[in-house]
Amino acid sequence: MVAAKVKSVFPAKRVSFHVNGTCVELDIGSQPHQVETSHTLAHTLRETLGLTGTKVTCDNGACGSCTVLMDGTAILSCMTLTVECHGRSITTIEGLQDPDTGRLDPLQQSFIDHTAFQCGFCTPGMILSAKALLNETPSPAEEEVKEALSGNFCRCISHYQVLRAVMAVAGSGEVKHV
Amino acid sequence: MRPFTHINARTIRQAVSALAKFDGNARLNAGGTDLFGILKDEFLPAYPEAIVNIKTVTGLDYIREDKGLLRIGALTRLADIAKSPLLRERYGALAETAHAVASPQIRNVATLAGNLCQDVRCCYYRYPHHIGGPIACARKGNGPCLAVKGDNRNHAVMGGRRCFAACPSDTAVALTLYDAQLLAVGPTAERRIAVRDFYTPLGNQLNNDEMVKEIQIPVITEPAQQSFLKFTLRKPIDFAIVSVAALVATKDGICAEARIALGAVAPGAVRAVTAEEFLRGRAINDETAAQAGVLALADARPLSRNAYKIQIAQTLVARALLGQDSATVVNVSHAYDPTELSTFHRCSSPASQGYATVVDSEHR
Amino acid sequence: MSEEYRFIGKSTRRKDATEIVTGATRYLNDIKFTDLLHGKVLRSPHPHAIIKRIDSSRAEQLPGVKAVLAWEDVPDWKAGTPRILRVLDRKVRFVGDVVALVAATSEEIARQACGLIDVEYEILPAVFDMEEAMKPGAPQLYDELPGNIVTPGTPAFGPHSLKEVVMGDVEQGFREADVISEGTFGYENIPNPIPPEPPGAVALWEEPNRVTLWVSNQASYLDKILMFHVFGKKVEVRTHGMACGGSFGTKIMSWPVQTYATLLSKATGRPVKVVFSKEEHIAAFVLRPGSRMQAKVGMKRDGTVTAVSGRWLVDTGYYSSTTQAQVAVGCGEIQLMTRCANWDLKTDIVCTNRNASGCVRGFGGQELKCSFIPLLCQAMEQINLDPVEFIKKNYVKPGDGYFWRDGAWYTYRGVDYTDAIERGAKLFGWKEKWQGWLKPSAVAGVKRRGIGVGVHGNADIGEDSSEAWVRLNPDGTALLYSCITEHGTGQRSNYLKMVAEVLQLPMERVSITPADSLINPFEYGPFGSRGTYAIGSAAIAAAEDARRQILELVAPRLGVKAEELETVDGLIFVKDNPGKSIKWGAMGYDRTVMGYGRFDPDFTLANCMTTFVEVEVDTETGKVDLLRVVNTTDVGQIIDPPGLEGQLNGCLGSSGIDSALFEETTFDMTTGHILNPNLIDYKWRTFSELPSIDNVVLETPVASHRFKAIGVGEVATSPGPMAILMAVSNAIGVWLHEYPATPERVLKALGKIPGKARSGGAA
Repeated sequence: MVAAKVKSVFPAKRVSFHVNGTCVELDIGSQPHQVETSHTLAHTLRETLGLTGTKVTCDNGACGSCTVLMDGTAILSCMTLTVECHGRSITTIEGLQDPDTGRLDPLQQSFIDHTAFQCGFCTPGMILSAKALLNETPSPAEEEVKEALSGNFCRCISHYQVLRAVMAVAGSGEVKHV
Repeated sequence: MRPFTHINARTIRQAVSALAKFDGNARLNAGGTDLFGILKDEFLPAYPEAIVNIKTVTGLDYIREDKGLLRIGALTRLADIAKSPLLRERYGALAETAHAVASPQIRNVATLAGNLCQDVRCCYYRYPHHIGGPIACARKGNGPCLAVKGDNRNHAVMGGRRCFAACPSDTAVALTLYDAQLLAVGPTAERRIAVRDFYTPLGNQLNNDEMVKEIQIPVITEPAQQSFLKFTLRKPIDFAIVSVAALVATKDGICAEARIALGAVAPGAVRAVTAEEFLRGRAINDETAAQAGVLALADARPLSRNAYKIQIAQTLVARALLGQDSATVVNVSHAYDPTELSTFHRCSSPASQGYATVVDSEHR
Repeated sequence: MSEEYRFIGKSTRRKDATEIVTGATRYLNDIKFTDLLHGKVLRSPHPHAIIKRIDSSRAEQLPGVKAVLAWEDVPDWKAGTPRILRVLDRKVRFVGDVVALVAATSEEIARQACGLIDVEYEILPAVFDMEEAMKPGAPQLYDELPGNIVTPGTPAFGPHSLKEVVMGDVEQGFREADVISEGTFGYENIPNPIPPEPPGAVALWEEPNRVTLWVSNQASYLDKILMFHVFGKKVEVRTHGMACGGSFGTKIMSWPVQTYATLLSKATGRPVKVVFSKEEHIAAFVLRPGSRMQAKVGMKRDGTVTAVSGRWLVDTGYYSSTTQAQVAVGCGEIQLMTRCANWDLKTDIVCTNRNASGCVRGFGGQELKCSFIPLLCQAMEQINLDPVEFIKKNYVKPGDGYFWRDGAWYTYRGVDYTDAIERGAKLFGWKEKWQGWLKPSAVAGVKRRGIGVGVHGNADIGEDSSEAWVRLNPDGTALLYSCITEHGTGQRSNYLKMVAEVLQLPMERVSITPADSLINPFEYGPFGSRGTYAIGSAAIAAAEDARRQILELVAPRLGVKAEELETVDGLIFVKDNPGKSIKWGAMGYDRTVMGYGRFDPDFTLANCMTTFVEVEVDTETGKVDLLRVVNTTDVGQIIDPPGLEGQLNGCLGSSGIDSALFEETTFDMTTGHILNPNLIDYKWRTFSELPSIDNVVLETPVASHRFKAIGVGEVATSPGPMAILMAVSNAIGVWLHEYPATPERVLKALGKIPGKARSGGAA
């Protein structure tokens, strides 16, 4: 009886999801062109799809560098299996610019205006964590911004300038929901 | 990560059957935030053959009161528990514990059952494979516990046996406070396990073909003061060094009901029964709260480097009972009150003082 | 500000800003190669062992594996100072040391192959403590280093490389003292700056003897030189410096990862990438040196230091690369902060069986002062001397002298930092808060606040050499040739700002070459805050040279002398008759003008950073919260205000202030394992725990280059840790001397750790 039940649960052969508005369909398997079951979303974004704006620092869920948006919510792409992203909508740092005009997201522009980065390696993750916050809370208090970014690691200490950059656009109504 | 077979379970039965089929060599995956750390670091003797995704099981994400029980689906995300109006109003300690876990990104995917079933954080147990190989230990069944003579600053001060790793789950502390039970589903039957009995020094009560379906909490109807204090070196990210949850109901200034649960001091979350009994019928004030703190840790027997946890736990018990915030017990009045978090003062300065411009170097 | 500039001192947009915020910046791991192989390292489980036998046959049979290399398979290349560490050796010297290398078609296959290499070890006894390592009979790491004492001095600093501070008559000095303080103090938590981007390299070997390396390093030209020497001076090396995701000094020690990639490429004929995992980054790359000082100091009531004697022990781990240089610079820096005539301070660098220490922001001085200032504090306590008064009195003044890293004596010709220190103290409210030694600045219930101050500075802001070219193009643009990678300070933009200012060109018309060692002239790289003065001087000189040449070129066309000409926005005109002008294009489409600039070392200027901190201690839990930081300095002239602010805020990161609060590398003294090689257990500053920071920056023109500026970026991390210990001690009324000030240590100092520990072993 048990065996009969299990028979109905085959490993999936394909996975499809949206990345920055574009549908991605990938074969699952162990060939070089395929996605392996053990591949993380971070790996697939960077190595298979060439979206290297997503950075991997700890590859262990502790630093926030690989943060992307899944259906608008901040998640860690290094702790997410690609095969479990079926039907989801992923936004990476490459997807924040207006696809028609190429205009930067106001949050990106504000990071530039406030020099809210030093080495820049953690910056994509920071921007996406802030973006997720503004999606849900368009006019956050500074404490809410700190909380939303509390899982993002930065060793240069860009924190203070990042807070200014996020607060400068918070509540401006300029930031579109992604 | 090394390859594995991946299965999306559509039902609990499918998930449990898959566990049975792989006979202990499959692992369930919900949020994945602990599991993938384990797989990436390859510190366990065996690597699973299969990962069974249970996020594809529908209907396990809920918070509802029903027949005297608050029922929370196993796959309810910590972020949803932290912001649930129902929980915030009447099960505040649980909402606080969920909010205290890790980081926003983790809470967005981590589930309640996953938080309860996560593996311990012992630095020897988790030492990664890729830096010279994993460290053998009692919990893995292949060696002695090195923490006993080594760095045990984060280990259990009570209840350890062979293994002294402390329970890392924050939500277990609130659930123990509430006398909550897990509903576990196996291939043939369901059973209930009290959260306070769930953990053993070497693991937990769950069989490797069982899956947690629901967490059940006896409904709290009487108004009670609840608090959860988590002591860490930093606010987010960190696992507790010590945590305490307390629930106090008073009538005419006298304690009618007191419950205290301790986290990160033992292999499981622990109820401080003696301290609870002591408080019932007494007024809770600085003195009785401090006494309760001492009683709560009376059974503690620290290792070489973790006695400091006892002092912290005693303090947290007293503060939780008194309803004090862990961070700011008293505000120290001070002249400086920053209006800006950071400032940059560019100061003008007297003109060049005319030092010599020649390089003035000589050996002496 | 004494002068108004068009760009200098203004907030200008970083040249790479758009790429950074859109994810387009290419760090090492972001570039694509065809036929790329991935390299992985098999690491030692033992802190000290001989490899008796390696069998890699199982690994070689795994499909996708292209090469497996062990010590017998590689050339006799050596690294370290002295050059005694074989790049793959028969001996392993720490848990995590390299045993074998694998190249495969994927990272995962390479990793699995590592697990299929069978190694038989002869385990040797190991030693983890410096003083134990120096004892007779202790395990010996190298035959060449008897007693595990590393050969002092570094060839890089010349034959008289500074190894100690010895001058005057200490006996006489101690006789003159009103108070003498003595003791042993350490800074031994070996914290790790852990930039987000891990160390890595891609190598492409071309027979017979050429390798191209793509590197992540703040100083990519130096890699070319360092690797040339590691490769036995027989290999031609070209480096491409990519955008660097943080370094804080450490990535100058990237020779292992660069060597591994090179060896694997040589073995396979294909490009090979080796990027360390974060676990390897923490457990098997670079730590701060461990520092322990047994010393004695004599002081007069007015804060005059009459004598310093003692011994500074530095733990370099399993080998030394830059540690002798750090000791040299530390010995110089202690003189900058202590105006004393009588010294007898000796040093020893010791090898132990743990991961290596080496180059880190604060380069020796932070480690030394974190051990030395507690000693000074005890003397100051006895005479009730305010530490701010001590610092003001003792920090180097114009006309003072000091021995610097090459053993030579230099006379200081920079500014007096008293003004900067006083302004910082005023903003902080030091006078109002200072209640005396071991006295809290405020108390409420179980919470106590305390204040502390630290100071650090170096005379390395003009160290080493730099070269640059500036090419003027007929289209009115300019190109700076400088082998500079961007590692977070904004320097690539800052040098362009200097060039733009000299040439009076809009910022968008100046650009900089990629950091390719093949096309650029020599560049030592940004260390010791040398970027602004040293690298800046070369860029400025190159721009001035190019400007002179183009003016000379067109002067005959305008019928005037070159000195009568000015150029703005690519237009050259007669100063007295601006209507008489000609465009740069007049040089002809078939011509460019190339200016050259060079900077030679100058050790007569020093920077100074003073940091004030206020902490709050919960005396019932031992938790220390950092409430406030005030950094104060004088930079001569700000180049880029937001960039400078970022550097100063950096005091919290990269194992700076927080190395006194919660940052430490935890280490098992029995097994030799680093126990926290991950970003959960290694603690770092989060957004939820930000103290307020005020940065005070004075601009007293200093005789450096035409913009009268010096750098301070590196030193921001260094004064903080000692200030924290002082503040915590003052708050709780008991001396705390160990870093970091954890709850465990604070409660212990307060006598609040109850009960008797369960005895080890049985349970």
